Amino acid sequence: MVLIRFLQDGLAEMLRGGRLYWGWIFFLLALTAFGGWFYVGQLRHGMVVTGMSDQVSWGFYIANFAFLVGIAAAAVLLVVPAYIFHRKDIKKAVLIGEGMAVAAVITAILFVVVDVARPDRLWHLIPVIGKFNFPMSLLAWDVVVLNGYLILNVAIPFYVLFSLYRDKEPNFRLYFPFVVLAIFWAISIHTVTAFLFSANSARPFWHTALLGPRFIASAFVSGPALIIITLQIVRRFTAYHVDQGAIKTLALIMTVAMQINLFFVGAELFTDFYNESTHAASIHYLFLGLGGFDALRAWIWTALALNIIAVTILMINPLRENMTFLNVACVLGFIGIWIEKGMGLVIPGFIPTPLGEIFEYAPTFDELAISVGCWAIGFLVFTLLAKATIAIELGHIRYAHRTARGAAPRRGAGVRPAHATGVHKAAFQSIGAAQAKGDQS
Amino acid sequence: MIHYAMVIDTVTCIGCGDCVISCQTENKVPIGLNRDWVVEATRGTYPNLTTEFRSERCNHCSHATCVFACPTGASHYWQDTNIVLVDPGKCTGCKACIAACPYDARLIMRPQGYIDKCTFCHHRVEQGQDPACVSTCPTHCMHFGILDDPKSQVSRLLSSRKYKSLMPETGNEPNVYYLY
Repeated sequence: MVLIRFLQDGLAEMLRGGRLYWGWIFFLLALTAFGGWFYVGQLRHGMVVTGMSDQVSWGFYIANFAFLVGIAAAAVLLVVPAYIFHRKDIKKAVLIGEGMAVAAVITAILFVVVDVARPDRLWHLIPVIGKFNFPMSLLAWDVVVLNGYLILNVAIPFYVLFSLYRDKEPNFRLYFPFVVLAIFWAISIHTVTAFLFSANSARPFWHTALLGPRFIASAFVSGPALIIITLQIVRRFTAYHVDQGAIKTLALIMTVAMQINLFFVGAELFTDFYNESTHAASIHYLFLGLGGFDALRAWIWTALALNIIAVTILMINPLRENMTFLNVACVLGFIGIWIEKGMGLVIPGFIPTPLGEIFEYAPTFDELAISVGCWAIGFLVFTLLAKATIAIELGHIRYAHRTARGAAPRRGAGVRPAHATGVHKAAFQSIGAAQAKGDQS
Repeated sequence: MIHYAMVIDTVTCIGCGDCVISCQTENKVPIGLNRDWVVEATRGTYPNLTTEFRSERCNHCSHATCVFACPTGASHYWQDTNIVLVDPGKCTGCKACIAACPYDARLIMRPQGYIDKCTFCHHRVEQGQDPACVSTCPTHCMHFGILDDPKSQVSRLLSSRKYKSLMPETGNEPNVYYLY
């Protein structure tokens, strides 16, 4: 009963908002519809509407997929300091980070679904009724880890928020084992995604042990970059207080991760180019072009330039502390990694083919439109989750409000328990302050 | 496991492409797609040139990375042999097998969206016949048989002639051999 009320209140909160909120929601819905329209076209005409071919069989979709799994994994950077080191400032941001992980995993799965030529046959992946080729197939592993991560990242915040809703302190001992599991799981989702590529012995560009570590390092750049910007938006548009300490810590992590990532890229470049073998054909194509074909050269050099500018800003202390410069570094690093891990990693693996042919790839308009639709769904999921999460954390929604409605119908007039501590206490104080302000006016 | 193998003599191959045509006819491969192809590899510098013709197809590897990669088991070994088949009804078109294949042997069927490939004409092998390409070859440069049987023609050719296989370094243990 309480659970139903909780869900009802959560959904009601998602549908409550000002003109700006609804404008944003309808903007995202319009983009989703735009992508959906082109997806119907892809279903009707088949994969010919994409730029993919027998030779380059993964394209823009899988590029976005690899990138988004990294975004999802990066939530662990908030989970570790919040739940293991009990950093109070980060504990306030952790549920937003977990909401982002949920949205990113859903979007990543969506990108796989649109990449599959026959989504109607995906039921073959379900064990028992189909044959789930586990543990042989890396793709089967990816299905397991992504769905597991999704469940963990829904379940933990759900439990915490549900406890808050009932004005109860979440039982740390109960959910702590799942937090630890989620931490290891976060690393595993991105490692498995890297292994999906590096397992292919016939593609020397991917077939390197460095791919897994590189994926993790670059994820810890793009993830914090997005979280830093999101936390500022939350701070700007809601009453929810996000401490500057959380942003500072994330910026520091981002700096170190970008340095490690660029070091990995350098190591890769040295190994391949110092004594160039036939295995370096793909990386040669990527950075310098091969046999007159160089469609990806502009992409990768842009990525490298963006990443170097970003890391330079981040490494200079006064600039990193300056929010304008930090935001510039976040945007540059985010785009830089998006290219490096997407177009700069997935596509050149197929070029040249093992037979030595060069088939170039460029995404078609249909592909771009469908991708925009997938991203819009991701933003929509995150917006809705964050809206309800913030309202519960602020104490705007409480079960007590419902039960007390008859006596005190005013919003925010809930019973304040004496045992509320830490972050939740702060939330109560802020709602208390808001009430006091309201009473004065 | 029965190991079927194909042995192709590059010395007597004239690169006519009949193997490609017979495959398309036998297996009703749509126009524009093909399950096998002929590579003309030229070595040396003018005027000292040699050309090698290679009729290439799926290598029906003993350690087929595509079968490993398939998440639904659509890519599978036929009965207890090394013949790799795709069950079109189970194939989601995720293309993981294309990334896993070192030979570019897999193609996307359009517009059906499943992955297609050489089957070693297992429907003919079942009836004791050679694959269509082998039986059509005008110079008899292609041979098909069971590798485990030391008396089979493929085994005898491999024990008496110099041979190579393509990209064995990937660990796929390919089963198409080229005599040279």
